[in-house]
Amino acid sequence: MKPPAKMSKPTSLFVIFFSLFVMSEAVFEDQVGKFDWRQQYVGKTLFAHFDSHSQSSKKLFLATDKNIFASFNSRTGELFWRHVDKAGPEGTIDILLLHGQDALMVVGGGRLLRSWDTNMGGLNWEAVLDTGSFQAACFVAMQDTVKHVAVLKKAAISLHYLTNGHQKWVENLPDSDTVQYQAVYSGGEEEVYVLGVVPNSHLTIIAYSLEDGEIIKQRSVEAPWLSSVESSCVVVGHGVLMCVDTATLALYALPIQSLDLEVSPGFQPVLVSSQPHPARSPISEFFLQLGPDHHVLLQLNADGYTIAPLRDFQPAFLVSFSTTGEKTVAAVMTPKNETVKKKKNVACAINLFSADSGRRLLDTTVIFPLDLNGGKPFKLYVHAFLKKDDSVGYRVLVQTQDHALTFIQQPGRVVWTREEALADVVTMEMVDLPLTGTQAELEGEFGKKADGLFPMVLKRLSSQVILLQAWLAHLWKLFYEARKPHGQVKNEVTIETLSRDEFNLQKMMVMVTASGKLFGIDSKSGSILWKHYLENVQPNAVFKLIVQRTTAHFPHPPQCTLLIKDKDTGLASLHVFNPIFGRKSHIAPPALPRPILQSLLLPVIDQDYAKVLLLVDDQYKVTAFPSTKNVLQQLQEMASSIFFYLIRSDQGNLSGFRLRKDLSTERIWEVVLPTEVQKIVAVNGKRPNEHVHSQGRVMGDRSVLYKYLNPNLLAVVTESTDAHPERAFVGVFLVDGVTGRIIHEAVQRKARGPVHFVHSENWVVYEYWNTKSRRNEFSVLELFEGTELYNSTVFSSLDRPHLPQVLQQTYIFPSPITTMEATLTEKGITSRHLLVGLPSGAILSLPKMFLDPRRPEVVTEHSREENLIPYAPEMPIRTEWFINYNQTVARVKGIYTAPSGLESTCLVVAYGLDIYQTRVYPSKQFDVLKDDYDYVLISSVLFALFFATMISKRLAQVKLLNRAWR
Amino acid sequence: MWLHVRLSEVCLFLQAMFILACCFSDMESGPIATSGSVQPNGDRFKIEGRAIVPGVKTQDWISSARVTVEGEEYIGFLRTDGSFVVNDVPSGSYVVEVISPGYKFEAVRVDITSKGKMRARLVNFIKTSEVIRQPYPLQLRSSGPHTYFMKRETWGWTDFLMNPMVMMMVLPLLIIVLLPKVVNTNDPEMRKEMEQSMNMLNPNPELPDVSEFMTKLFSGSKSSSSKAIGGSKCQNITCTSGLRNYCNWSCHGNYNAIFKKSFFIRLYNCFLSRVFFPLSNNPRVCTTLVLCQF
Repeated sequence: MKPPAKMSKPTSLFVIFFSLFVMSEAVFEDQVGKFDWRQQYVGKTLFAHFDSHSQSSKKLFLATDKNIFASFNSRTGELFWRHVDKAGPEGTIDILLLHGQDALMVVGGGRLLRSWDTNMGGLNWEAVLDTGSFQAACFVAMQDTVKHVAVLKKAAISLHYLTNGHQKWVENLPDSDTVQYQAVYSGGEEEVYVLGVVPNSHLTIIAYSLEDGEIIKQRSVEAPWLSSVESSCVVVGHGVLMCVDTATLALYALPIQSLDLEVSPGFQPVLVSSQPHPARSPISEFFLQLGPDHHVLLQLNADGYTIAPLRDFQPAFLVSFSTTGEKTVAAVMTPKNETVKKKKNVACAINLFSADSGRRLLDTTVIFPLDLNGGKPFKLYVHAFLKKDDSVGYRVLVQTQDHALTFIQQPGRVVWTREEALADVVTMEMVDLPLTGTQAELEGEFGKKADGLFPMVLKRLSSQVILLQAWLAHLWKLFYEARKPHGQVKNEVTIETLSRDEFNLQKMMVMVTASGKLFGIDSKSGSILWKHYLENVQPNAVFKLIVQRTTAHFPHPPQCTLLIKDKDTGLASLHVFNPIFGRKSHIAPPALPRPILQSLLLPVIDQDYAKVLLLVDDQYKVTAFPSTKNVLQQLQEMASSIFFYLIRSDQGNLSGFRLRKDLSTERIWEVVLPTEVQKIVAVNGKRPNEHVHSQGRVMGDRSVLYKYLNPNLLAVVTESTDAHPERAFVGVFLVDGVTGRIIHEAVQRKARGPVHFVHSENWVVYEYWNTKSRRNEFSVLELFEGTELYNSTVFSSLDRPHLPQVLQQTYIFPSPITTMEATLTEKGITSRHLLVGLPSGAILSLPKMFLDPRRPEVVTEHSREENLIPYAPEMPIRTEWFINYNQTVARVKGIYTAPSGLESTCLVVAYGLDIYQTRVYPSKQFDVLKDDYDYVLISSVLFALFFATMISKRLAQVKLLNRAWR
Repeated sequence: MWLHVRLSEVCLFLQAMFILACCFSDMESGPIATSGSVQPNGDRFKIEGRAIVPGVKTQDWISSARVTVEGEEYIGFLRTDGSFVVNDVPSGSYVVEVISPGYKFEAVRVDITSKGKMRARLVNFIKTSEVIRQPYPLQLRSSGPHTYFMKRETWGWTDFLMNPMVMMMVLPLLIIVLLPKVVNTNDPEMRKEMEQSMNMLNPNPELPDVSEFMTKLFSGSKSSSSKAIGGSKCQNITCTSGLRNYCNWSCHGNYNAIFKKSFFIRLYNCFLSRVFFPLSNNPRVCTTLVLCQF
């Protein structure tokens, strides 16, 4: 038992810290960009348009699957502006059309029609569309000017003015319950055509008058082979509908005519055509894709009945049309050499062909390397322009399967690459960088103590010599670089030069994205050092990243394991890799034939210093990885002390298990929360790498209130199934994960989620929506053992007879929040802050002091002594507390905190749509000199004092001498 | 005993191990926020308004701004003239906010009745039913750019010199050094003049000075820290620990007569005792301040 007096010392120190640094957390203006960076992403591109309004325009417009409409600088790949709509189906962008300066968008499955001013990035107008699911939209031109836009819904077609979005007319479509209307087309005449299909029966074509929406013509064409207009038909030439029949592999033009072409088996042929201007009919040339890398350029002859093949492209990955002025060109992307499969990097070539003749244009070949590891090229966006000598130049944007965008300029220069997969980071870890050779040498010196005195001295000297050498080399480098012009000096970070810095502030960020692409990012500069694309990852996969071995075990390389689980089947696979280089490890992961329910990382280490990962399958059998003999033996020895829990949120079941010696399991407890009343929303334990420095808190009367530090405590959050505002509630259960004992239960009536919560040390902070007062509220639960510890040496869940004292307080928070996390430092001495992600994109650093259930309503001497802030119902949000100032992180999804080598410093990465990395100092930088430390002042004062003493000494001497003479 | 040891051993392991058993089972990542009583087919309304940043062109800020209703429940974008419409909002009470990384706007609560009547009022999270009406359609005026940064504490010579402590140290020093030079003490006319002026202020010169009296009292009875400083003219500078803020010293010689009566000196002493000494609890401070009686 530790005496309380001893205890109080660090805690009182703590109090001093608190009192000194309450209001301190803020960014200074000169720190902008010093150790923080932000990268903005938009997501997977759905629609891309180059600004063709003016020849020299640099703008590129993208609409993405993250419901974002963005404008890029096509020369640099940087964002001009970006509009983030609501996530989910209500904000999905159905179509993006560009006309002049206006970008037209149908949003939310035909909910809204928006027109943007692409120049300013503001909205021109927004119009609410009638209900009905969106099918198609196109511009409608009248006498060569585009004035309207037609929107086709499932059962209606409407025409809107481009200037203000007002509806000109809306017409119901005939027989909309049987006919599937799928396409709308206007060729510049006074008519709007709507194409519908009754699958495998006939095709319906209706022509509407532009003026008043009257049906001018209605025609039905027998087409028993046609199932969908959308996927197999395009309009070519002067109003000729070209359809491809997937069953008989024939090409139909209407009026029907067929042409035999060979299609690779199992491939659905695709037609590609182009309508350069909505006021004119599409060009009569079109592409037919016959296989994954086989395209044919075809031409519809002027008579409208015959088709002539112009050119056969094989192999050809992608084709695209582009128009500039009066010229239309076709861009074709082909692999440069035949050995596609063998090499990792493949050179690709893009050539331009004249669309009307199929002839290759001279000097238009662009060759660029394509990393096939990043997936196949997916789409090609070509921006053609006329050069001064009237020849066609072009730039091209290549989208690959991993959502990456590459912008290429003639002659084969990759201008920029955007890794848009990073818009959807699922999970991440920060891994320490390896030591350099010198550092390792120095570290090694302290390892062995068996040597005698003399060798130790020698070793010390030799390492000092090494340090001196390194320093001299550094000086020489500085001198050498100083002579160079400033712009040329580049400190490029490469994998080879990576090494840990003095305070371990620079780390490797391993990020896992939803698309299955892994990234290794340098936390200091934000540059991507490695990337690895896992190709066969299902879109609904769940990921868990585990660091099995850190960099501390040289010469064993660090090792990370990614558990990829299919959400529907539960089947999982492991990807083992080196987090510093991104290379796949040669260690073979175990085969996992059964669905995985739970994974746990044990502190047990095998002979190669890798922590053991246990995977529990649906039969409650356990698989260990690595599963060497050594590991299995260790597991057997401690099987009886390994516990884990499982959650079945669909059954409202929370159960605890214990491992048996034969790696099977036994259930030891079960908590059932009836699903008719409430459902389990989230379960959270504490972070395993968290340290708590002080065991208690010193109160005003100098007694100690000991914290209840149960490492096995789980916070279970439930929400009521009844959504009625009067009866809804949010429940928080604190359950001991070993014994299943419910330590505390708090129910917040008239509240609903989404609940965000943090569980750390001896407290749980959660946030919910108060349905009665319509506001967000923070509640804090703090657990204390009381003024005496039951067993101060070790905590045991099985031997704690007394329930902890629970204190709770609730506060109003004047904003909704999107995510929450607590800061984490090396030793846990620094005070804690909560990092709260707000919908505005700001990340608020809220001192935990404000969330202290012991905040008094009436200030007393004791509370003042303890530095408790008097209770105030409303929590302040101060913009000075935003750690990311104006660098907002859109749609913050997670905040990752990691300790650094400095106790005062916590590394923070906020990810969502954007990635923001920074450092926070919750108690200011008490262990290093601050940025603004005034070296000049301190040295000048020192010198001044020194000289003053010298002079006064001299004067005193003179005076003494004079007196002696007197 | 053995059991106990075993148990604690086990628990050590538990401590370390259990916590790592993080959940990886099928959990919905939080429910989709369903606003309780809203029917999907209920009437939908629109919230209209206009946002203004005084002195800033709209094109400079609208591309990064947006309008959020109740967090991100409904989102609207700003038109090129700063006006906005949030469409498709069911009846209810919402906090409407214009979010811009550059400029701050006050949030407004908008109530929509089931018939579509709109009302805007100030947001008050504590008294939620309090109504302070705001104009509708909303008129949101920015109160300026956000203050994200703290001011660095810079160090300059002026800061140092203007520091009240330093001022208090320097000013007396100046007076002490300069005053004897300004006032020619050896001039008998001058001496006379000053004596006269002092006499006018002191109606009864025969009455002993209070401070003098006190000094005598305390120096006699209590242990006092007294110290004589160099030179033959001034002796017996007394600091009284009982009278915390007051110092006395009696001086002899030529200076005494003048300074005792000097109006300036009195003023100065007054200043010292009022301003300077209350700051320091240590009565010895006064020993460093030379000269004269209070």
